[in-house]
Amino acid sequence: MDNNLALTKTATSTKQKPKGRKSFFKLLVQQRALVLMSIPFVIWVIIFKYLPIWGWAIAFQDYKPAKSFWEQEWVGFEHFKFLFTNERFLLVLRNTIVMSLINLVLGFVTAISLALMLNEVRNMAFKRTVQTISYMPYFLSWVVAAGIIQNILAVDGVVNDLLKFLGLIEEGEEILFLGIGEWFWGIYGASIVWKNVGWNTIVYLAAIAVIDPGLYEAAEIDGAGRFRKMWHITLPGIRNVIIVLLIMNIGYLLESGFEPQYLLGNGMNIDYSENLDIFVLNYGIRLYNYSLSVAASIFKTVVSFILITAANSIAKRIGEVRLY
Amino acid sequence: MANGRRQKRKKRIGRMSVGDWAFEIVNHTLLILLVIVTLYPMINTLAVSLNDATDSLKGGIYLWPRKFSLENYKFVFQESNIANAALISVLRTVIGTVLTVFCSAMVAYTISRPEYVLRRFVTVIFLLTMYFNGGLIPTYLLMRNLGLIGTFGIYIWPNIIGAFNLIVIRTFIENLPSSLIESAKIDGAGEFRTFVNIVLPLCAPVLATVALFTGVWQWNSWFDVFLYNSSKEHLSTLQYELQKVLAFSNASMQRIDFQAAAAQGASYQKVTPYAIRATMMIVVSVPVIMVYPFLQKYFVKGMLIGGVKE
Amino acid sequence: MTRRRWLISFMCLMVILALVLTACGSKESTETEQTETPSSSPSSGQETEEKKEEETEKPKEKVTFTMFVAVQGKKDMYMNETKIGKILEEQTGVNFKVEYLVGELQTKIGTMIASGDYPDVLVPDDGIEAVVQAGGFIDLSPYIGNEKYPNINKVYGPIKERMVWDDGTIPIFVFSTQVGEFQPDPGPNMTAFWIQRRVLEWAGFPRLKTVDEYFDVIERFVKAHPDEKLIGFTTLTDDWRFFATTNAPNHLAGYPNDGEVMVDLNTYEARIYAGTEWDKRWWKKLNEINAKGLFDRAAFTDNYDQYIAKLTSHKVLGMCDQAWQIGDAQAALSDAARANPEEDGYRYFPLPIVFDETIKDQYLEPVQFVKNRGWGITVKCKDPERVIEFVDHLLKEETQILVKWGIEGETYLRDENGRMYRTQEMIDMMDQKFNEEYGFTMFSWDWPHWGTASTLSDGNAAVPGRQPEIFELSLTEADKKFFQAYGIKTYADLFSPPDERPWYPAWGIPRGPEQQLFEQQKADVQRKYIPKLVLCEPEEFEKVWEEYVAELNKLDIEGYERWFTEEIKKIMETVKK
Repeated sequence: MDNNLALTKTATSTKQKPKGRKSFFKLLVQQRALVLMSIPFVIWVIIFKYLPIWGWAIAFQDYKPAKSFWEQEWVGFEHFKFLFTNERFLLVLRNTIVMSLINLVLGFVTAISLALMLNEVRNMAFKRTVQTISYMPYFLSWVVAAGIIQNILAVDGVVNDLLKFLGLIEEGEEILFLGIGEWFWGIYGASIVWKNVGWNTIVYLAAIAVIDPGLYEAAEIDGAGRFRKMWHITLPGIRNVIIVLLIMNIGYLLESGFEPQYLLGNGMNIDYSENLDIFVLNYGIRLYNYSLSVAASIFKTVVSFILITAANSIAKRIGEVRLY
Repeated sequence: MANGRRQKRKKRIGRMSVGDWAFEIVNHTLLILLVIVTLYPMINTLAVSLNDATDSLKGGIYLWPRKFSLENYKFVFQESNIANAALISVLRTVIGTVLTVFCSAMVAYTISRPEYVLRRFVTVIFLLTMYFNGGLIPTYLLMRNLGLIGTFGIYIWPNIIGAFNLIVIRTFIENLPSSLIESAKIDGAGEFRTFVNIVLPLCAPVLATVALFTGVWQWNSWFDVFLYNSSKEHLSTLQYELQKVLAFSNASMQRIDFQAAAAQGASYQKVTPYAIRATMMIVVSVPVIMVYPFLQKYFVKGMLIGGVKE
Repeated sequence: MTRRRWLISFMCLMVILALVLTACGSKESTETEQTETPSSSPSSGQETEEKKEEETEKPKEKVTFTMFVAVQGKKDMYMNETKIGKILEEQTGVNFKVEYLVGELQTKIGTMIASGDYPDVLVPDDGIEAVVQAGGFIDLSPYIGNEKYPNINKVYGPIKERMVWDDGTIPIFVFSTQVGEFQPDPGPNMTAFWIQRRVLEWAGFPRLKTVDEYFDVIERFVKAHPDEKLIGFTTLTDDWRFFATTNAPNHLAGYPNDGEVMVDLNTYEARIYAGTEWDKRWWKKLNEINAKGLFDRAAFTDNYDQYIAKLTSHKVLGMCDQAWQIGDAQAALSDAARANPEEDGYRYFPLPIVFDETIKDQYLEPVQFVKNRGWGITVKCKDPERVIEFVDHLLKEETQILVKWGIEGETYLRDENGRMYRTQEMIDMMDQKFNEEYGFTMFSWDWPHWGTASTLSDGNAAVPGRQPEIFELSLTEADKKFFQAYGIKTYADLFSPPDERPWYPAWGIPRGPEQQLFEQQKADVQRKYIPKLVLCEPEEFEKVWEEYVAELNKLDIEGYERWFTEEIKKIMETVKK
């Protein structure tokens, strides 16, 4: 029973592959209830999400909102060239990827750890309090959160005061945390975790909630300790959720967020804080160059598609759940 | 059964080993640290919101207000439209969330059925939408052609299903013991009945999660109001009204208005963006934060499957 | 069977929901449209009818126009909700529904252009180039210089030529207008080097002129107060406000704020000052100041809120900035000083600092002409003629007095010589809420008007803030002491009068995509190198400077300068005509 349920799933799904066109339609008619339950929404998604893709053509034009679509001047890959040959592009791409990986790894590790830790708390009131409070920072807008981070890290902020109190630095040697470029990624990572960990935990708590309690009882009879139960029951129980979320998030490698970098960035850490989105804001949107921002978003989409396809096929090969 | 479990738990506490004790202590300490670190910003924001705005400019407000004042709240609530805006916010949150949760769950159920022929097609077509968008202007023109601009529908229709929610729910449904669904089928229930009667209740934790995600998103969003409905006061939302107040409090920082204020020989306004942002945060987030404890009952371990089995 | 029933009922539910949502949405939207068209309320409808009967030959129906202002900062309102607006509506039958920007300007203007859903009247602010390119505005040239509209003519006639854009049309009524004599701003509202007032008092009210004198006093003051942990000098660097930092060398060299360039008074050549000797001299000075421990180390990491907090903390002795950026800090310090006169020394005093004795300071702004900020009628306007008539009425002298000064006896009085003034009670009464409800807030800007420095035909200032009588009322005892010590009547007296610069401000010249791109690239280089220039060890300064200049030289400086020079020469030609 403590076997992975997904195994049976993959087994059944390979069983019923339609053989020919005829049997496909036959199945379709047979499954008309499922079809009716899903196809209206497929039509919805095509209208609302796929129709506006015509906008991608903008990336190949020198788009002026005033003209009609056919009057636009076509410029081919000009905007892509501007993007890829800009001397800041590689730097910006590096920052984007590094911060996004930090976000991915830290995000997963901390949220899962917190979920496991909360799961071990027996006092319900305490558990609920921790849960409710830890997800509060999520509701602060980044402007407010960044303001608080700036104040904490300021020359006269709490962190410098603490270092002085501990005798690690002298008066007048206060550290300019946001002025040291190399430290920016660390500050970014800590800020992201601080703000989102509670929120990210929710989905794992939900996953833990559906684990069959019988499994724990059986393990207890076998004399399993706390860590063994965690390792052999809780973690495998939420494993599918973890993997599916992981694959989905890998697709967001070029989306490292915008606000924290923008708000905490400054001239002294710009070589580490500026990411693709900020670059596009400065050179695309702010200059009314819509074409450039669309070109950048096409680039991001292509990378995303490659990444999720790769991640999904790796998951398939090593026998984990797949996304599709 | 419940009683028995409680007894067992008591027994367990009785024979906790040294390792267990150490774990308890470390675990609780870490969690308390987390609470301190995550509670601080809220307390700080609350303190700033309750402090005199001009005084707050000096900085140095940490845990409690230095010069207590309710002016910031007065300023935020002076907007005459605020009651109607709050109503629209509640409406869009409730309608949007109910619809999203139900529709996402339904589609998720179909793509969780291993035998469904269109399973991969439907999954992929939704999944891809997570990674692209047509851009601001094409989307705007689409909404315009659909006649959604200037209507309440703009808050609902474009957001019925989010791919992320869909996949998360599907993963949960797949994790359910397949025997439960099979047995329903054997009893002669159709797909929709199975979905409503078996799958929906079993998915309560994930549906609560998705409801929270969607609800918070709906509650907080103001960009669509700004983009599509900014000239329709009766469709304005709480978030948008507060954004307006914030923009308004920014006025003193703008060159032109500074000149104008100086030109009138008038004194400065007594609110600042810093104080207004803090006040807004409290006004907007407190209702949402209070919802969470009510949802927590769905996250209680073992409640559901245990219940079905018994 | 049951299965199908479920499905059908669900589908029905969806359809009903769809109908309800769209129906209620569209119904409501037609409702608002109704309020936008003539009869906004039953009572006003009756009035219209009455009026119709009265003026049978020229029936003027009441009409409400929509107006969008792409600037954040005011409350959305109908014009006739204000006291002044109500009077204007009674006089003209025209009402406006004014909406202000909330989110990002580019987004709003972009969708407006793409969809063609313009309001009747648009104040596009920074989005002007895009809207003009899109042909979003009607051409105003037929209405200027037209005897049908004498008041428009009076204000815009003299500058008609200059308001013409590249495509030969006049898209907007600019805000920077000048009627009558130039009224200088008496208040401390200029760009300047600021210094804490206690420093000046401590040093015996010296007349500081050069950078060296300025920093010398600061240094001595810091040394004399070792326990206070003072910061000698700071600078504002947050996001777009960074210009406060980069503009300083330009002012020190004796030029007004023309944006990125300094323009020669004789040859009209525009030169970028970034990377010049002026630039180098300033950063080197700051580098020295930093080495002495007088510069604020956190200046390049702190955000705007922190900057304001520093200025109100009493610890910072000086900075160079535009008055409106430090307005919040000054207001807070003034409030404190009013409550406790001993704290007056922490307020900031403006100084016209330059590099050398020989340089004439040019901090005060000459008569302005900002071509790309104004009020335009869009191609979607229901009735442009009617709007123009309203503008003509608005630009009448009596109307200008009404919107800027208010109603005699209520918000201003006249003395026996006809001079207009306000009593202290009036000023105290005019808080933010009052100004909003009265309409002063709505009409303070954003409409065609007589520019801030204009003069009424009877010699009074067109706006109260420029009226010396009003300014004098705002002076405290401490202010008077300073004014006496320096022998001045207004803050402007400290500064040299501005030279004539018809192109001023050059940043108001509409720029194309290449120029905007250049400015962005230049800002990026400066953002990165200026902190290094200031904070590096003094022996490394030359090396960093070389790098900085090398980076700047990669950009098309020459092309940018050439373009600006041409634009300025064009302006000079039209002016001379």
